[in-house]
Amino acid sequence: MSFLKELTKGIIKENPIFVIVLGMCPTLAVTTSVVNALGMGLAATFVLICSNIMISLIKDITPASIRIPVYIVVIAAFVSIVDMIMEAYLPGLHKSLGLFIPLIVVNCIILGRAEAFAGKNTVLMSIADAIGMGLGFTLSLTIVGTIREILGAGTWLNIRVTPAGYDPMLIAILAPGAFITLGFLMAVMNMIKERK
Amino acid sequence: MGYLGEIFVMAMTAIFIQNFVLSRFLGLCPYLGVSKKLDSALGMGLAVIFVMTLASSFTFLINRYLLMPYNMEYLQTIAFILTIAALVQFVEMVIQKYAPALYSALGVYLPLITTNCAVLGVAILNTSMFRSDGITPYNFLDSTLNGFFSGVGFTVVLLAMAGIRMRIEKAEIPKSMQGMPIALILAGIMALAFYGFIGFKI
Amino acid sequence: MKYYLKLGLILFIFSVVASGILAFVNSLTTPIIAAKKAQDEIDAREKLIPGAVFEEHETVDGESYFIALDEDSEPLGFVFIASENGYSSKILTMVGIDADFNIIGIEILDQGETPGLGANCENESFTAQFAEKQALNLKVNQDDGEITSLAGATITSRTIANSIRERANSLKSALETGGEQ
Repeated sequence: MSFLKELTKGIIKENPIFVIVLGMCPTLAVTTSVVNALGMGLAATFVLICSNIMISLIKDITPASIRIPVYIVVIAAFVSIVDMIMEAYLPGLHKSLGLFIPLIVVNCIILGRAEAFAGKNTVLMSIADAIGMGLGFTLSLTIVGTIREILGAGTWLNIRVTPAGYDPMLIAILAPGAFITLGFLMAVMNMIKERK
Repeated sequence: MGYLGEIFVMAMTAIFIQNFVLSRFLGLCPYLGVSKKLDSALGMGLAVIFVMTLASSFTFLINRYLLMPYNMEYLQTIAFILTIAALVQFVEMVIQKYAPALYSALGVYLPLITTNCAVLGVAILNTSMFRSDGITPYNFLDSTLNGFFSGVGFTVVLLAMAGIRMRIEKAEIPKSMQGMPIALILAGIMALAFYGFIGFKI
Repeated sequence: MKYYLKLGLILFIFSVVASGILAFVNSLTTPIIAAKKAQDEIDAREKLIPGAVFEEHETVDGESYFIALDEDSEPLGFVFIASENGYSSKILTMVGIDADFNIIGIEILDQGETPGLGANCENESFTAQFAEKQALNLKVNQDDGEITSLAGATITSRTIANSIRERANSLKSALETGGEQ
């Protein structure tokens, strides 16, 4: 029961992007297309699951005063592994995410979950928490990516979805469009919350 | 072009053309989180300039003299983030002991900087940056200066954002747009303005 | 003091274990990455001048290029890689030219330009226009040339055109002086 609760809380109630507003940099930078958004979301989810497992395993042998550096080492190691594996098997995606793969290390969501959850809970619960938060992150990225790709390129997952006469609104995939899209999305979230 | 010209190009690129926040999307958490008041924005900005400059020079040395000679670039991420974390901790202790006035101004922002992606970002970017001739890789001084100017670029837009947000607090904004949404749209308009600099290739 | 040493030691052990794992993963992925890159270049060459046999050569300046030969070992043209820094990344373009330096085709191998603007240089609609143009005086329309720049990405387009032109010219002068090794 509580496994399910930990699993689902990250997706809506404690959604890392729209509710807790963490990890803004990748949310804005890599959501130029749905493929990039999904790639980033899944890479971060993988790191989150691995680091949550590892940290909840080692929580009893790490002295409290150096727990943050230890967490950082664990997270950085998993990020580097993802980085290398992506370069070997998904070079195109690796190229377009570029700098933002190593920057998963400083994604506040991952260190935040390590500190707030995995360092205090059992392995099983930490896995549930990581999957939930990771999926919440991926879902949010995909939503932003969907809006930006459809508006800015007229495609979804590189498949044409708009009528031939639609002239893509290029600004949506440029930097300013990222901020404005996320701004309006958050406003809509707030509006829905107020209605309730 | 002399070295002064090179520095000018670097400064203009880091501050306006490829601004860290608005064009590279780095350091957004403090940009959106610490921009509600002008004085706290200034404190954060100065702390970031300080740490970015130091981090750029240290990570350059580590990369050039420890990692590259032994083909261990795959340890870059882990080595850089540990260096930055240690550096921030060290700076915090030194300032606390020898400059208590500065500590009371910057102290609360320092721990936040370890996870500021702009710092790790500039360290990683420096390893693949070239001077304006496109061939010479950055040397120690170039990297340090680039760290400094990138920090300045961050501070400039952070201060501008704080100034606008302080004014907008008095404006009547629809309830659902208050707070983060309006800040993001402001950032979008600022990014649009900074797009005017694109195409200037000095 | 002893306490701090213990903390340092724990952190050190973690770092060493992590580095060891990374070294292992790196040793697994490096050959795959290198092989993939080499295969990409072979595929791109094959696509530019299909059915040819490629012979690698080097100019005196140490820049490598390929001579494409047909079944009877008659030269069909040359293939080389032009590279220059574009707007925000290094752009690598593989170019196939015939013996008179007319472009047969180009293929963007690597770029990291702005999505939606410069990154469109990989699109067929941009690369196709290079075919049959003279490589030795290739220019974009802003410089009174024949290549239509991408909208909003003049720097990217100009970089590609200029890098091809420069490499073609240096290859031509290298061939004329017989600087082949």
